[in-house]
Amino acid sequence: MTTSLETTDLRKAFGGVVALDGATVSFRHGQVNALIGPNGSGKTTFFNCVTGMIRADSGRITYRGSDIARKAPHAIARAGVGRTFQLCRVFPRMSALDNVLAAVRPGGLAGGLRGARHRAEVDRARGWLTRLGIEHLAEIEARNMSWGQQKLLELAGVLMGEPETVLLDEPAGGVNPALLDRIGTLVRELNAEGRTFVIVEHNMDLVMSISDHIVVFDRGRPIAEGPPALIRTDERVLGAYLGV
Amino acid sequence: MPNVSKRVLTGVGLVLLAAAAISFPSLAPNPYILSAGIVVVNYAVLATSWNFVGGFTGYISLGHGALAGLGGYATALLVTKAGLPSFVALAVAALLVAALAVPIGLAALRVRGASFVIVSIALVLILLLVFQSWASFTGGSRGLVVPRPFPGLLRPEHHRVFFYLFSGLLALALLAWWLIDRSRFGLGLKAIREDEDKAESLGTPTFAYKLIVFVVSAAFTALAGGLYALWFGDLDPVFQFSILTGSYLVLMALLGGVRNLFGPLAGALIVGIALEYFKGQFGNTPLHLVATGVLLGLVVMFMPDGVLPALGSLVQRFRKAEQGSIREVSASELLAQRKREEVRQ
Repeated sequence: MTTSLETTDLRKAFGGVVALDGATVSFRHGQVNALIGPNGSGKTTFFNCVTGMIRADSGRITYRGSDIARKAPHAIARAGVGRTFQLCRVFPRMSALDNVLAAVRPGGLAGGLRGARHRAEVDRARGWLTRLGIEHLAEIEARNMSWGQQKLLELAGVLMGEPETVLLDEPAGGVNPALLDRIGTLVRELNAEGRTFVIVEHNMDLVMSISDHIVVFDRGRPIAEGPPALIRTDERVLGAYLGV
Repeated sequence: MPNVSKRVLTGVGLVLLAAAAISFPSLAPNPYILSAGIVVVNYAVLATSWNFVGGFTGYISLGHGALAGLGGYATALLVTKAGLPSFVALAVAALLVAALAVPIGLAALRVRGASFVIVSIALVLILLLVFQSWASFTGGSRGLVVPRPFPGLLRPEHHRVFFYLFSGLLALALLAWWLIDRSRFGLGLKAIREDEDKAESLGTPTFAYKLIVFVVSAAFTALAGGLYALWFGDLDPVFQFSILTGSYLVLMALLGGVRNLFGPLAGALIVGIALEYFKGQFGNTPLHLVATGVLLGLVVMFMPDGVLPALGSLVQRFRKAEQGSIREVSASELLAQRKREEVRQ
């Protein structure tokens, strides 16, 4: 199994608070990987460093063998890493369709001046909206959609960029059980089509049901990793979560 | 259907606008009104140029007056010192200001929100000091006289020609804004306005996008400033590098609606005419500034999206009222509806 995303001795501190304390992690290509841990264990900071949203103090980040530690977020996205955010982020005053079309990357000046609603791209964007079950909201402004619909829209936008690896930051946060099932099924389907996932999530039922490989964080570094069956019974994990 | 009616409305609006622009010089009762018309159209060009940055990216620049001033002085100096023909000087000046906008943008666009506003103000103040102090080159506070491009024309004819030149420039700026608005590049810019970090995470090179649109905006602003220099014929740093100019542009764009092609134009018509009225009625008192401040307050409180969007939603409300949920249904309609339901079952 080849490595998709890998970090070596990744460190990040905010003043005196150490968020990442030498995190060395590797996620496997073609799998659904989960990153779990108690609140404040550094999971989101890890995502932010890996996607270039914040710069790590030191350490190495590689994606499919290339060093991406100093790359800008848009360059990392173009390299094939897409992400969603812990607090769902959409473009509130743009229609759902435009939210998805915003992920289209124009090539050069001529591409940039081409109409934003190019037929082939609109069809592709509508395809993603349909797949996520929100096609009927295509012309609705994102701010008028429910939280769950916005979560799906955010994911549709990320998928429109055709990322090879998708980082999902708490996809189950604040969504109803029916939607949770849909998200879980979708992740498995997209994974079967060849996409790698790294998921930060607190909902253990979801994590255990869809993950192939789990990494557990505590105090800014991994304390355990392995398949769900192993993690479920790991004493260090229970200790970190339950304090036992 | 709504798209068709919107297109028809836009088409009718454009025809009316063009007719008004063509006929205004003939209808203006005297050269003063004609010159006031030029000032208003100049504001419309400047506000539309400002809206390339403000409207698309949401970055509020109070420094666009400085870019207009640079355009004006560059045009004037190229005519007086380098001996270039007036309109060649205007084009070269716009290119020079666009080139200068690259390092300015590289520095200013690194910061967002209030910090960007402060940097843009600093640009105006620095250039004011430079152009005032460097009197041997710029004329300093004594001013700089710009030779007229059409020396044979009498004043009313001079105004008439420049009214059409400013209107042509306005049409060009509106066309460029419309082209960007409907493009992928424009969608990327609007994504920056909505959430810059999110846009970046989707693969949009946000800094490059902002820089490109800033340069385009600077070029149009410089063209307006340069054309003003050729029309007015006299430049003074105090007026060319004024915070007030930038503030007026922001007010005009906000008043009309920054997300709308014609928003800044509508705002320029309202604010420009109001300014001329206040100056005409009350002379050189600060009353026009007080009125401007009150207007800005009213816009922010009651029409945060601007006049045009407010009018648009009013029309929408009437339409919805017409198509209300309660209406009489005839027996034949009810029968047909039932039949459709039966077929579906």
